Amino acid sequence: MAKVLVLAEHDGKNLKEISFELLGMAHRVASGATVKALLLGEGVSELASKLSERGANEVIHVEGSALRHYTGEGYRRALVPLLEEELPDLVLLGHTPNGWDLAPLLAARFAAPAATGCSKIVLENGKGRFTRKAFNGKFIHEIEVGSARPMIATVEKGASSPVEGATTGTVRSVAAAVAESDLRTRHVEIKKAEAGGLDLSQATIIVSAGRGVGAPEKLEVVRALAEALGGQLGASRAVTDAGWLPHEHQIGSSGVSVSPKLYVACGISGAIQHVVGMKSSAYIVAINKDADAPIFGVADVGVVGDLFEIVPALTKAVKEAKP
Amino acid sequence: MKALVLVKHVPDSNSVFRLNASGTWVDETNLSFTVNDFDRYALEELLKLKDAGRVEEVVALTVGPAQAGAALRTCLATGADRAVHIKDEALAGSDPFVVARAIHAAIASEGFSLILGGLQADDDNHTQVGGLVAGLLDWPFASAAVRLSLVDPSTLRVDRELENNEVQVVDITLPAVVTVQTGMNTPRYASLKGIMAAKKKPVATLALSNLGLAPEDVGAKLRTVSLAPPPKGKSAEILTGSPEEIAKALVGRIREKTGVL
Repeated sequence: MAKVLVLAEHDGKNLKEISFELLGMAHRVASGATVKALLLGEGVSELASKLSERGANEVIHVEGSALRHYTGEGYRRALVPLLEEELPDLVLLGHTPNGWDLAPLLAARFAAPAATGCSKIVLENGKGRFTRKAFNGKFIHEIEVGSARPMIATVEKGASSPVEGATTGTVRSVAAAVAESDLRTRHVEIKKAEAGGLDLSQATIIVSAGRGVGAPEKLEVVRALAEALGGQLGASRAVTDAGWLPHEHQIGSSGVSVSPKLYVACGISGAIQHVVGMKSSAYIVAINKDADAPIFGVADVGVVGDLFEIVPALTKAVKEAKP
Repeated sequence: MKALVLVKHVPDSNSVFRLNASGTWVDETNLSFTVNDFDRYALEELLKLKDAGRVEEVVALTVGPAQAGAALRTCLATGADRAVHIKDEALAGSDPFVVARAIHAAIASEGFSLILGGLQADDDNHTQVGGLVAGLLDWPFASAAVRLSLVDPSTLRVDRELENNEVQVVDITLPAVVTVQTGMNTPRYASLKGIMAAKKKPVATLALSNLGLAPEDVGAKLRTVSLAPPPKGKSAEILTGSPEEIAKALVGRIREKTGVL
């Protein structure tokens, strides 16, 4: 029996799916013990009841204007006294921009062990065992934590399914132990990253280029295939970071999520940040010189080889095949 | 103001990795190492602030074995003014908390106004050290910056990268710690002149005893059980043959499975 707390994520109006996934994982880890959800915000009491209906045995609803928007500092200061009172074994956060922002701030405060990007967590004989990725998804990294409490973990999206069926839980509302004027961090706004009007989210066919294309002028080989197929040109982060294509071509967790009928990945290794944005594509073709590249784990069909030989041949064959 | 960049010396992420004999990490013997990619963007951001006259001194710091000194020399050659190398055998096999604790001890009295680092390291991907240092210092923190600007001498505006193409804009009061995303600028390379000048720049080497820390203060909280290749779940059907044969087979699969041709 372990005491597990879950930090809910929301945008002020709706809970994010990761909140329900965390509750699902918390119940698996807690093996029968009470699972509590922490909900921080302003005017979010409706969200508290939703959490209690989907797996939280108790919701601790922390209300305050300093929590209207997420800031690491505001959340940390509101959470520290609560965690001191609750003394959990494990605190679960999403492996999301706010989760990886907050986890080390809490870990520092409690001198607590923290494991990030976890896909599996097992508590046994007082020890925590965490399964995560290292080397950008090329390896699975298992780590173990001894008796230090609380343990803090961020959990990958999609790693756990939500609790099935409706549940009933209680809601306890408390005032935040932090005021806006205490904070040295001020939320200004949330806005869309600059974009030029391309919307890949609705594309039927996407051909994407990754680090393997090697140089901006060599992108043309991939672009030619996209044009032959009548599709759009996508990219992994490496390509947009290098400035070879604008940010709006980026597919993945920080870019756009896509689900075309056909996705062709050219020279993309398949880092988790990219895969989460394209794995729901109906049919995935991967071309990469590294046979061990993780992209072959999500692709339907793959070619291990030089994209500069395979892609032009494919472009030619596509043109010939079109009526 | 004085600014610090935290850097890590990591294996080149384009390397072909093999596991070590105990299956606990990659075999590092024949790998080429480099400055962690994220950290190069953090250094560039500070050098830009220095070029603009907003920062007087840029210091680079790393925690690592003797060979990690190469990362500091790269930073000095690129434009950092001096470097700090925390090096101690007791730090081998350390974890993010231990690294952050050592950094905190080394810099708590230095009077930095701004500490930048990369969002994560390309090897362990822990994504923790910047936030841990901020937490230990009790300074404001923002992670995954894609844009930084000084609003006034004590306020930094940070665009934090969120998901789905969104950013959160926050104003934080200095001193503060910020970690940066890749792609936020174009990191400069060291010039020949810079490489020559770097040889005269100071590098302070600190052991745990210099930091007032004992070996028992740096016991790792995380213990690696194993490192292993991902399980082969759904595996792709791999096509072989000449490029023309493969192309023909791919067109057949695409036509049959997707109906887009």
